[in-house]
Amino acid sequence: MNVKQTTVRERRLGITYSSPMGIWLTVFFMVPLLIIIAYSFLTKGLYGGVEFPITFDAYLQMANPNFMRVLLRTVWVTTLATALTIALALPCGYAMARSKHQTLWLGMVIVPFWTNSLIRIYAWIAILSSEGFLNEMLKTLGFIKESLPLIYNQGAVTAVLIYMYIPFAILPLFTTIDKFDFGLLEAARDLGATKPQAIFKVLMPNIRSGIITSVIFTFIPIFGAYTVPLLVGGKDSYMIGNIIVDQVTKTRNWPLASAFSLIITLISTLGVLWMMTSTARERARIKQQPLKDREDTLGPSHNGLTSAGRVS
Amino acid sequence: MKTHRLRFVFLALAVLLVATLLITGCSKKTESGKTLYLYNWTYYTPESVIEKFEKEFGVRVVIDYFASNEDMFTKLTGGGSGYDVVFPSQDYTEIMIKQDMLNPIDPSKIPNLSYISSFALEKATYDPKMEYSVPYYLGAAGIAVNKTEVTDYARDWSIFADTRLAGRMSMLDDPREVIGDALAYLGYSVSTVDPKELAEAQKLINEQWKPNLVKFDAEGFAKSFSLGEFWVVQGYAEGIFEELDAERWGEVDFFLPPDGGPMYLDSMVIPKGAKNIDLAHQFINFIHRPEIYAEFLDRFHFPSTVHTTAEQLKKNDSFYEVEDLATYELKYDVGAYLAEYDKIWQTIRYVN
Repeated sequence: MNVKQTTVRERRLGITYSSPMGIWLTVFFMVPLLIIIAYSFLTKGLYGGVEFPITFDAYLQMANPNFMRVLLRTVWVTTLATALTIALALPCGYAMARSKHQTLWLGMVIVPFWTNSLIRIYAWIAILSSEGFLNEMLKTLGFIKESLPLIYNQGAVTAVLIYMYIPFAILPLFTTIDKFDFGLLEAARDLGATKPQAIFKVLMPNIRSGIITSVIFTFIPIFGAYTVPLLVGGKDSYMIGNIIVDQVTKTRNWPLASAFSLIITLISTLGVLWMMTSTARERARIKQQPLKDREDTLGPSHNGLTSAGRVS
Repeated sequence: MKTHRLRFVFLALAVLLVATLLITGCSKKTESGKTLYLYNWTYYTPESVIEKFEKEFGVRVVIDYFASNEDMFTKLTGGGSGYDVVFPSQDYTEIMIKQDMLNPIDPSKIPNLSYISSFALEKATYDPKMEYSVPYYLGAAGIAVNKTEVTDYARDWSIFADTRLAGRMSMLDDPREVIGDALAYLGYSVSTVDPKELAEAQKLINEQWKPNLVKFDAEGFAKSFSLGEFWVVQGYAEGIFEELDAERWGEVDFFLPPDGGPMYLDSMVIPKGAKNIDLAHQFINFIHRPEIYAEFLDRFHFPSTVHTTAEQLKKNDSFYEVEDLATYELKYDVGAYLAEYDKIWQTIRYVN
């Protein structure tokens, strides 16, 4: 009886404690989202804004080959940039976690954030343009005679997107790798695993949650990217973010802009749901482990060890 | 003990915060205590002009900026903006007059209206008597050519069809501008609603101009032009020359193609809900005081398109002349037909 009463009271306290955050999220996150959903089903006003009646016009307009082309391009660029970002961030995070100067490296990852992102994009224009630093350097070193077309194409967009979002991938990877017990890698080697085997069968399964977080943290913002394709992209670099801005600022079609925003939001939500279910599954897996008094990080590594052992 | 101390620290911080807000809120009061709220394009009224106005009238001027007419319009229709003077372009001035969003201008409070040129008022067909709007500046985008790289070129819109310059040219990321240029080049109105004429313009842009362009750009092209990346760019003179040191201005040929093209007329209007209507009139009058208006023209090297006497007071040469605009046409609002312009723009911008 007594115990039950306390839990009820505690639960009520929990609501009290979480209510400020809850109200904040409702007002500043849920309400704007509901407005976007509502707008996407309304008729476009002649001079911007929305009017009644409720229609599916915006969604019908979306089924247009021009938009589909941009949507496909956006998915392709985002997937490519995310994959390359993670591929680069993994060794970075690993090196940082093993380094003695972690604070220094962390600082170097974080410091660029203190500069406005637009300024950093303009810096890339100065680096990549035909008379830019990179081309001039290659010319001086004698590698090329004519400037290479490094900017105003898809390659430039992908490269600058990777640069912009790589810190978001490095930081979660670093934190998970930092918690990893590197002794396990040595143990795997002792049991006969090759170096790549140790990495892929012991390290990787253990930092899965970090990888998933990094993927989410890079995929979602890149999918909605707007300034990078606008500034370093060429004729062929439009992404969904650019369409949304165009529909609001040039064509005065708010319902269509809302419908596109909703698509981005839906894809992001699905990504987060995927992350949540995989972490939940991970946790369930750890709980099934026979060892009871072990640290959280040791759980999956035990699993990794056995699999490494089986290899030998 | 510890929690007590913490609570005290928080309380002290809160008191400090409220105090700072109160102090900073009060400290900027001026003699008359009045504040004029402007809503203007970015970098469109020189700082020195604003300072002179503040000093002379003993008021404070607060400026908010917009980057497009659509941004401005959205904010004003949102209601309760509290701006005293706003600077919309012709299409939105017309819309705002139609939608009854503006306070009438009282000509007795603006004696300097007598300086407004008939050239500007003839173009302002939506308000030729300045009942709701007073012209601020009339101009057009043109073409800038880097003369150190390009020596032999056509001084009209067909320069964008020049395959020798492929990969070195950019046009504005603006459907009404680019489609308008093609329409003017073909001899049509820049605000046409004839699907045949639009189809011709679309064909011209997609088949002859676009293959030679690096991109459509309204943000970074001036920087790329100054870096030598782009040799021929379409854009606004003030934005292009702003990126270049004055000693390099001689390297640039800026011209308005004689076939004509779209032109803009920005006006000063007093929206309904403005709190300082008298002060707003004083500001508009102040802007059109000849020596003040000349200061504005000098800052941006503009020709005196809307003012009759400021031209003589100017010290700097203009990047283009009033006569160059003779063949140019104001971009009028095309209303619901804008959707057709957007369809054409999609084939230009989204498909490669």
